[in-house]
Amino acid sequence: MSYQTILKSSLAIVFAITFFGSADAQNSLAIKGGKIIPVAGEAIENGTLLIRDGKIAAVGTDLDIPVDARIIDATGKVVMPGFVEAHSSEGLSQANETNPNVPYVSVMDGIDPMRPYFDSARRNGVTSVAVVPGNSTMIGGQAAVIKTGGDFVEYMVLKRDAGMKISLRPAGQTSRMGHLAALRKALGEAKRKIESDAKKESGKDEEKAEDKSKEGESKTAATPSKPKSETDSELTKALMKVVSGKLPVFIYCDKAMDVAYATQLINQYKMNAILVLGRDCHKAAKQVAASGLPVILDSQMVFWDKDPRTDEEKKIVVTESFRDQDVPFAFQVARSSNNTLGNNYLWYQAATAVKYGMPKDEALKALTLLPAEFLGVDQFVGSLEKGKDGDVIILTGDPLKNGTWVETTIVNGEVVYERDNDEKLELLLGKTDQK
Amino acid sequence: MKIKTPVLFTICLLTVTTVIAQDDAAVLYSAGTVYTMSGEPISPGQVLVENGKIKAVDSVIPAATRGDATLVELGEGSVLMPGLIDAYTQSGMGADSSDEVTKEITPNFRAARSIDWKSTDMKQRLHAGTTTMCVCPGTQNVVSGIASIVKTGGEQVVNDDYALVASICSDPTARNSSRQRPDSIYVRQPTNRMGVVWILRNSLSKVKQGKMESAPLAEALNGKRPFFIVSRVAHDLSTAATLAEEFDFQPILVGGHESYKITDLISARNYSVILGGTTTGSMFGPEQTELCWNQAGILDEAGITFCISGNNQLEQARFAHRFGLDANKALAAITTSPAQILGINERVGTIEIGKDADLIALQGDPLEFTTAIEWVMVDGKITEPKNTTRQAKGN
Repeated sequence: MSYQTILKSSLAIVFAITFFGSADAQNSLAIKGGKIIPVAGEAIENGTLLIRDGKIAAVGTDLDIPVDARIIDATGKVVMPGFVEAHSSEGLSQANETNPNVPYVSVMDGIDPMRPYFDSARRNGVTSVAVVPGNSTMIGGQAAVIKTGGDFVEYMVLKRDAGMKISLRPAGQTSRMGHLAALRKALGEAKRKIESDAKKESGKDEEKAEDKSKEGESKTAATPSKPKSETDSELTKALMKVVSGKLPVFIYCDKAMDVAYATQLINQYKMNAILVLGRDCHKAAKQVAASGLPVILDSQMVFWDKDPRTDEEKKIVVTESFRDQDVPFAFQVARSSNNTLGNNYLWYQAATAVKYGMPKDEALKALTLLPAEFLGVDQFVGSLEKGKDGDVIILTGDPLKNGTWVETTIVNGEVVYERDNDEKLELLLGKTDQK
Repeated sequence: MKIKTPVLFTICLLTVTTVIAQDDAAVLYSAGTVYTMSGEPISPGQVLVENGKIKAVDSVIPAATRGDATLVELGEGSVLMPGLIDAYTQSGMGADSSDEVTKEITPNFRAARSIDWKSTDMKQRLHAGTTTMCVCPGTQNVVSGIASIVKTGGEQVVNDDYALVASICSDPTARNSSRQRPDSIYVRQPTNRMGVVWILRNSLSKVKQGKMESAPLAEALNGKRPFFIVSRVAHDLSTAATLAEEFDFQPILVGGHESYKITDLISARNYSVILGGTTTGSMFGPEQTELCWNQAGILDEAGITFCISGNNQLEQARFAHRFGLDANKALAAITTSPAQILGINERVGTIEIGKDADLIALQGDPLEFTTAIEWVMVDGKITEPKNTTRQAKGN
């Protein structure tokens, strides 16, 4: 062994140690000194949050911080779980399919992580979002819950089959009668297919003992024997999961009248549903309450309604209508194409709800744990609890206060946003000259 | 019949007297904090309202001044502040009456003639806290007419013969129907920005040379009438400045979404700016102006006189504060500064003795997003019933 080889190998060892050492440090993150609002449980003053390997390892006051952990000092700041947005089409390059019946498509094929939406989401504390097809397609396709940090959707995904989007709003010239008939036809076909499959299954059980090896062949042989086109069978297959309740549905109700049909369809086809309600649906608050289904509100929560006959105008506060009926709800934000002030932010929606009487802790829950429960991802996100994903936001002050900004956004234990390095925000605030 | 008539008459009489009594009777409002906007906030504070005017304002109004005024306790944490003033709006104009199609120059049209006091937007503005607003004709004419200052409650015109409004922006080109239909009777200019400026310059020089009679234009040129110029992008604002120098008038810039880019020019010429509302959702401002959230803060730092207009002024002020404008200045931008720009600061804009009793009562800090407006008062009258806000359950 020459001198050079020894040098090389020792260098390699040094390199390896440095490399693995730093990688280890990357895996532990401690946020200390701040006020922790875990959402599940009481707030902790001067608390410490430990994240290891992307998961929350501990939340408390007197925690032993590992020597290799990266430490973020959050003194004077507020630490809380990242917000969960329950319904958005903004991550899609195109929200609606032109074909009205496309249960087999998935948002996983259409999410563009480079869209400005994701920038804005991280800046405003959103760490998980349910990307759902738009409201203009009858059966719009499959939704997914993704994290807002990342540049390829496969690495961002939290729940791939989050649900099917069904809209009760007829598109174009279709009447509501025609729309519902088409919807029932599609769902009915799926239901019949399940029933016929079940019959076949029970028939097979008897044959099974005799002919186990041939089963695989018969399955593949069965498909071409049917005269139906490939898309037809794809369509039914995708809907079968919905009709059996295995895949949740996001049902969009445009008008209050749609709520009754939605609940009817849900019961008839035993669907596992989340109601996505247009602003008019405040009129059906009682029906919604009776259904006991999770609710996602329209982005327009305060508006003026005019009686078509008497011209009487009334200021409607949607959150009040639902709170009066004790309906728990999550928020939705306005589309980016709208010229809106404020309601394109999830936190602003919560602030508006508080303005109209919702207690603050309830509003914070409606930003985090509640939508996580609705979406079936509450074992991973929505609160700061041991074992959950390290999705944390550090705020400059109390949440929902005017001067409060998101300082740091952390997804899976990794910092994905820092206000100090947010050049776009500096541009928008006209601060570039000072730097 | 014989018995019923006098009974009815008495009932009518009673109703009338009670209404008058309510209007005139002195009421003492006691709030957690009174933002007078003429000095430091008074905490706690009291405001005495009589005959639609502010009779007294102090932390405790002495019994002698107070007399037999009814006391209204607004509760802990409550806030009283002056009614908001919007220096530029088209709210309250009846449908289809803000823009004229047949002519490019209509300096004699008056906004006051088409105000619909019962319109939804008037009511909405009142609910959102705006008590005084300057209603302007639309922007699709090069010179669109005369703005009128009105109260949103009580169907009251403050000044129906106020500023002349002209557009130096792309809006007038939008009404050119001849683009679509060459045979249209509405074949009119301009079709581009150059045309807009040419038509304005042409009319102004004709008026100056005495070749065209137009009292409003002449008054706007000689400084007897305020001259609103609607411009949003920086190069239009610069054009407005060029014309102003050429014809020697002092414009009030309206819109001004990119005025933050040319603050040196604006502050050197001492122009006032009525900022149009900002948005946070879209990528651009109106007319594709470059989006800057801190327009107000930048104008303020440059020492420019400005106010904030827009459909929800309180929300606009809240965001202006969030994006960098000082809290007091954010409140001034929707009360005292628009009053000053409109020249009505003797009557409205602050809570001071002798001023109109235009007030808003809030449940907390006016600049917090979580604060609701409790009621809005115009000339001593709580015109709109209480908002439907409820107390938080629990908490």
